[in-house]
Amino acid sequence: MAQSIDTDLPEDGEFAPTGCGRFPRESLELAAIARADCSVEVDERISTHLVICKPCLEAVGQLAQEHTLLTELAQAARPDRATHAGRSEGAGLAAEEIPGYRLSREIHRGGQGAVYLAEQLATRRTCAVKMLLGGRFATPVQRMRFEREVEVVAGLRHPGIVTLYESGLSRDGEPWFAMEFVEGERLDEFVRRVGAGQRAIAELMRRVADTVAYAHRRGVIHRDLKPGNILVDQDGAPRILDFGLARSSTDADATDPRSSSTLAGEFVGTFAYAAPEQLAGDPTLVDSRCDLYALGVLFFELLAGQRPFEGAKSIAELVAQKASGATRRPSAPAAACGRAVDGDLDVIVLRLLAPDPARRYATAAALAEDLARYLDGRPILAREDSLAYVVTKTVRRHWFASGAAAVFLLTVVGASVALAVALANAEREKERVRRAYSTFGAALASANPEEGQGSSSMNVRDFLALVEKEVRSELADEPEVLAEMLKTLGVIQLAFDDPERSRGPILSAHEFFSRAYEAGRIGPSPMAEAELALARQLFLDRDFSGSEDAYRRAIGLRQLAFGPTAVETVDLERQLATVLRRQGRIAEAGALLEEALVHADRFPSTKEAVRVKAGILNGQAVLAAETGEHQDAIESFRIILSELHEVVPGNDFRRGRTLSSLAQSEAALGMLDSAERHAEEAVAILTERKGAGAQWTREATEILAKIRAAKAAAAPR
Amino acid sequence: MGGMDLDRTTTALLAALHDSSNAAAWEAFDHRYRPILMGFARSYGLCDDDAAELAQSTIVKFIEQYREGKYDRDRGRLGAWLVTIAKYRLLDMRRKKSPVHIAQGESAIVDLDDDRSVGDAYDAQRRLAILREALQELREKTKTDSKTIRAFELLYYHGMSVQAVAADLGMQPQEVYLAKSRVAMRIREIVARIEREYEETPEDWASSPDRPSAAFGG
Repeated sequence: MAQSIDTDLPEDGEFAPTGCGRFPRESLELAAIARADCSVEVDERISTHLVICKPCLEAVGQLAQEHTLLTELAQAARPDRATHAGRSEGAGLAAEEIPGYRLSREIHRGGQGAVYLAEQLATRRTCAVKMLLGGRFATPVQRMRFEREVEVVAGLRHPGIVTLYESGLSRDGEPWFAMEFVEGERLDEFVRRVGAGQRAIAELMRRVADTVAYAHRRGVIHRDLKPGNILVDQDGAPRILDFGLARSSTDADATDPRSSSTLAGEFVGTFAYAAPEQLAGDPTLVDSRCDLYALGVLFFELLAGQRPFEGAKSIAELVAQKASGATRRPSAPAAACGRAVDGDLDVIVLRLLAPDPARRYATAAALAEDLARYLDGRPILAREDSLAYVVTKTVRRHWFASGAAAVFLLTVVGASVALAVALANAEREKERVRRAYSTFGAALASANPEEGQGSSSMNVRDFLALVEKEVRSELADEPEVLAEMLKTLGVIQLAFDDPERSRGPILSAHEFFSRAYEAGRIGPSPMAEAELALARQLFLDRDFSGSEDAYRRAIGLRQLAFGPTAVETVDLERQLATVLRRQGRIAEAGALLEEALVHADRFPSTKEAVRVKAGILNGQAVLAAETGEHQDAIESFRIILSELHEVVPGNDFRRGRTLSSLAQSEAALGMLDSAERHAEEAVAILTERKGAGAQWTREATEILAKIRAAKAAAAPR
Repeated sequence: MGGMDLDRTTTALLAALHDSSNAAAWEAFDHRYRPILMGFARSYGLCDDDAAELAQSTIVKFIEQYREGKYDRDRGRLGAWLVTIAKYRLLDMRRKKSPVHIAQGESAIVDLDDDRSVGDAYDAQRRLAILREALQELREKTKTDSKTIRAFELLYYHGMSVQAVAADLGMQPQEVYLAKSRVAMRIREIVARIEREYEETPEDWASSPDRPSAAFGG
C-alpha cells in the first residue's frame, strides 16, 4: 500500500482540540444546538469562552454540524410529512392534527414557533394556534421554552395581553396552544399610518407600560419587546404578544441552567432593543429594567421615526454607543422631519435609555405614572442627571482605580465625562479587553439570521470569517489586539484544516508580530507563536521549504525563550522532522527525531511532555513504515497508543491519527481485520474531532476504504 | 459502504434510458424521482392523491420529451427540467381545482412565480430522498449496531434527553453522545456517496452562476 498518506501533520502542542474541561459535554452540546439552529439563543458564557478556548470552539463546531445533520435526518425519516420550508407547509398538514381546531393558514413564523389562523370548532370562534417549530423533533431547549411560554401566558390575564384559551399535544405529540386572535397592526406601522402625534404616542406607550407593569408584578419579564410584538387592535388598544422569551422572576436561580428556560447567559432578544446588560450576557444583571430599556428604544423610534442609535456605522459601534449611553434626544431627529417632541418626552426617553439600569425608572409602573403626569400636564418626576451627579458618581467609581484620572475628571464637564474616563483611565488594558469582547459580541450579533448576515446554514467557520471581518474593521486602531485576535482566528481555521481561510489572518498577524519584535515591543515567546502559525500554514499550503524556514525561526525563538532542551522547543523539532520527511529528507528527519528523543527522555513527567514524547515516537514509527519496516512501526504505534491513553481522552485526535497509521501498517502486513477495526475507530475519532472534510479524516477514510476493498477481494465467493 | 455504484449515477441512468426496452433503467429512474416529485407536490399543499397524480403526469411528460430528444442537458440539471414540468402540472391542477383561491390571492400555496423558491422546494425534496435512502442503508447495510441507532432515534425522534436515553438503553451518557456522533459520521459518509450518484452534469453545475433557475425560463 502506498505510503503517501501523512498521518503526522505537525500541530501546535497547545492546540489540542478537546474541550478544555471547563464546561461539561452537556453544555457544549447545548451551545452547539444554539449554533446549529442559529436562533438568537447563544449561551454567552460559552461564546465568550470560545473566543479564548480553541478546543471548546472546535468541539462546539463539530457538534453543531452533527446536530444539524441529525435533525435533518430525523425530519426526513418522518413518514408522509412534507417538510420543505415553503410557507404553505403547516397550513394543509397541521390542519387535521389538532383536535377541536381547523387550521387555515400560517400567519406568523418566529424563532420559537409558527402561528396559524384557526377556528375553534366547538365555539366557532377565530383564534390563533401556535405550534412549536420542529415539532417533536424540537430540541429539549426549544421544547422547554415553548412550555414556558404556555405557562407564562396562561398565568397572565390583562386586556393588554393576548388571552390563552387552551393548550395540548397534537395527534403527533407536538405541543401547541390556542390563543385569542388579535386582528391588528404592528405598533410602529399603526403610528405611521395614522400619523399619530406625540400625545397619542405617549398615550399608547402609557398603556403598553401599564401592561408591562402588570406582567412585572406577576414576576414575568418579557425580554423581547419590539414593534413586531405589540399589535394595535381594531379598538386602537395595544396588545403585547409573544412571551416566548419571557423569564419568570420566580425561577430559583438565573445562573442555574436547569432552573430557567432562558439558559444562563444566553442572549435572547432582538439586538436593537436589547439593553446593554442583556448584551453583556451575565444573566444575574438582567431584570425587569431591560424591558424598560426596550420601551425606551421603541418610544424613541415612534417619536423620531428612527432608532436612537441609527447613526452607528457598525454593530460594534452600536454596542459601544449603547454601553456609553451617548444617546441623542428624540426631539433632534424628529425636528429634522418637522415633528415636535416636548422636552419632557426627551427626558423620559433618555431616562429609559440609561445604560446603567439603576438610572432608569425603577418600575414600569413608575414609567406609566410619569406618562400619565405628562398627559395631564403635571410636572414629570424623571429628571436628567445633573452634572454634579455625573461627576460625583463617576469620580467615586473610578477614584481607587486611578486617582490621577479622577482628578483630571473634575476638570471635565458634560457628557464627555464618561468618555474621558475610558480614555484617561490608567487601566487601559481593561478597555482593550472590553473592546475585543465587544467586537466579538458584535460579530455574534451579526450572525443573527433575523438581523445580520447569519443564516441557518452558517457554520463555525463562516462565523469565524464574520468575526475576522468585524475585528479587522473595528480594531484597526488597536493593532496589538487585532494581531492577537487574527492569530487566534487563523490558528482555529488551521485546526479545521482550512488553509484558505487561515492564510489571511495568519499572514497579517505574522507581519505585525515581526514588526513588533524587531522594534522590541514583544519578546521571543509570542514571536515564536506567530512563526509557528506561519509554519503550519505553509505546511498546509504545501510550501514545505517555507514551512521549514518558519519552523527553524520558531525553534530559535523558543530556544531563547525556554532553553534548547525545553519541552516547547523539542516539540517544534519533532514537527520540523515531519516537514523534512515530506521533502523526502528521510535521514535528516530520522536524525532530528533521535536527538529529540534524547531530550524527551529527560523531560519532567508532565502530561504535555508525555504527549510530545508520543509525538516523537509517532514520527519515528511513521518513518519506519515509510521504509517498509511495518512490524517495527506497528509495535511503536501500539506503545504510543498506550502512552497516549494515560494523558489524552479516548477521542483525542492524536489517537485517531495514530490508529490510522497503525491500520495502514497492519494492512500492509495483511492483518486486515485488525486494520479495519483500527481504521474505523480512526475515522470515527477524526470525524468527530476534525470534521469529515479535514485532511486527516479524508485520509483515514481512504485507508479504511482500501482495507475494505482488500478484504472484499480476499473474501471467498 | 463501498465506493459509488457507477450504474446508479444519474448520468448512467439517463444513458440507459435511451434504450426504451431497458425496463430496469426506467424503474430505477421512477424509483428515484417519483418520491421526490410526490414530496415536492405535497409541499405545495396537495393531498396525497393529487401529489401522486402530479408525480405520475410529470414522469410521463418527461419520458415523452426525453424520447423526442427535447431534454437538453446543457440547459440545466435534470432536476430543473423536472421542476419545470411539475410546475406547469401544478398550475394546471390548481386552475382546475381551486379557481376561487387564486382569485382571492389566497397565500396558503406558495407563489409559483418565484422560480428560486420552486427550485429550492425541489432541492429540499431531493435532499430528503437522499437522507431517507441513507437512513435505510444505515439500518440495513452497515454494521452500526441497533443500540446506536436506537439512541439516535430516542434523542431525535422522541426528543428524549441524553440522560433519559442512557437510562432507557442501559448506557452511560457519554456512550449516548458517542452513539449519536457515530450515526452522524456514518450518515455523512453515506450521504456523500449518494450525493455523488445523484450528481448531474457537475461541470454545468459548477459553471452556472444561477443554478437551476436558468432552466425555468418559460
